[in-house]
Amino acid sequence: MKYLMKAYWWKLLTVILLIYTVIGGFLMPAPRLPILNETIRILHFHVPMWFGMIIMFTVSVFYAIKYLSTKNLMYDLYAEHLVNIGVMFGVLGIVSGMVWANFTWGEPWSNDPKQNASAVALLIYFALIILRGSLQDDHQKARLGAVYNIFAFAVLIPLLFVLPRMTDSLHPGNGGNPAFGQYDLDSDLRMVFYPAVLGWTFLGFWMAILKIRVARLQKHLDYE
Amino acid sequence: MRKTLGFQPYFCFMDQIIALIKKDLLVDFRQKYVVAGIALYVFATIYIAYLAFNNVITPAIWNALFWLILLFSSITGLGKSFGQEAHRSHYYYYLAKPVHILTAKLIYYGFYEILLVVLLTGIFNLFLGFPVENPSLFLVNLLAGASGLSVCFTLIASIAAKSDNGSHLMPILAFPVIIPVLLLAVTNSRKIVFGASLADISGNLLVLVCFNVIIIALSFILFPYSWKN
Repeated sequence: MKYLMKAYWWKLLTVILLIYTVIGGFLMPAPRLPILNETIRILHFHVPMWFGMIIMFTVSVFYAIKYLSTKNLMYDLYAEHLVNIGVMFGVLGIVSGMVWANFTWGEPWSNDPKQNASAVALLIYFALIILRGSLQDDHQKARLGAVYNIFAFAVLIPLLFVLPRMTDSLHPGNGGNPAFGQYDLDSDLRMVFYPAVLGWTFLGFWMAILKIRVARLQKHLDYE
Repeated sequence: MRKTLGFQPYFCFMDQIIALIKKDLLVDFRQKYVVAGIALYVFATIYIAYLAFNNVITPAIWNALFWLILLFSSITGLGKSFGQEAHRSHYYYYLAKPVHILTAKLIYYGFYEILLVVLLTGIFNLFLGFPVENPSLFLVNLLAGASGLSVCFTLIASIAAKSDNGSHLMPILAFPVIIPVLLLAVTNSRKIVFGASLADISGNLLVLVCFNVIIIALSFILFPYSWKN
């Protein structure tokens, strides 16, 4: 995080990757599949949101643990803003998923286990944000926030990666071993999809870093 | 009690836990109205359900209702587990290790939850019937689910108690994290109501037990941080 805050190269990379994603995602060849048709292009925008969310939550938990072991409020700031941006990514993921589902499954919400799991995941992290808001003291906020963050993450992992796999889902790669190869991505899609994941995740970190900088300045001004 | 808790700085693990459980028992015994209030809550909720569902209840609805009422009465019962500590917890900081406090709380509120389940099942049986084909398996699954509820709510109560409006925060914090446990337990329970055997639900039951183990392990890791200021 400290390195990302100083370095510039990855911001340039983010811009290039996202321009490539938007242009390539809409214009490059995509497989013509029944039902999906051209809606498959939303893959480059819907799925990376979940990748970004999981990565940001994971890094946030890392900093929550680091806060509990060092009591340095800086780490708590990282954890807090990564969760906020992660939740934003999650909301975008769920909304874009609903738009996609409306065209392919016929309705925005069809009681799919993965849809339910991601909705619950968002509920958990909204609860974390409310918990932080209800506490006054900075250190107490950080400590209890970190405890709940770690607990929530431990609940989240089985929720997202174990439970949906035990039942049938409308999502691809379910009802068996959910290997990534089962996504049936063809090479045209892969050429845009992987850069898209990287680009959107970097964008999330960029946003979180901007928020962290603002929060640090705010704190600095408050003390003076 | 004072002798074991107060005047000996170093004493063995079991003594301290037994003293802490005794203390919880004594507090509940002195404030009988709290326990009576929870019993009344359970009774009133089931009676409302009985009146509202006036003879139109099917086994699937019965199952959903059973777990919903168990969820709400557990959160009312266990939500108080740390609320009563707020004013005197400063003594414990110096006397007892957090791990001992948590062990005592988990044991005490585990029994508490079992009592709640017994009461709930009894009243349910009386008013709404007991349309289960395999009662022993139902109870095993119920026990697994209820232990998950009690452990999870005890940890969340320790977090919520630190806030100014803990009683409002408790359901907000607890409901989302309990959903995986509840999902597994309710699904199992529905299958059992319709006559599933142990082989049909063993996979889900195993995941549920593993989940409980994870929650207990995490509670012991995280509780020292939520307890000490």
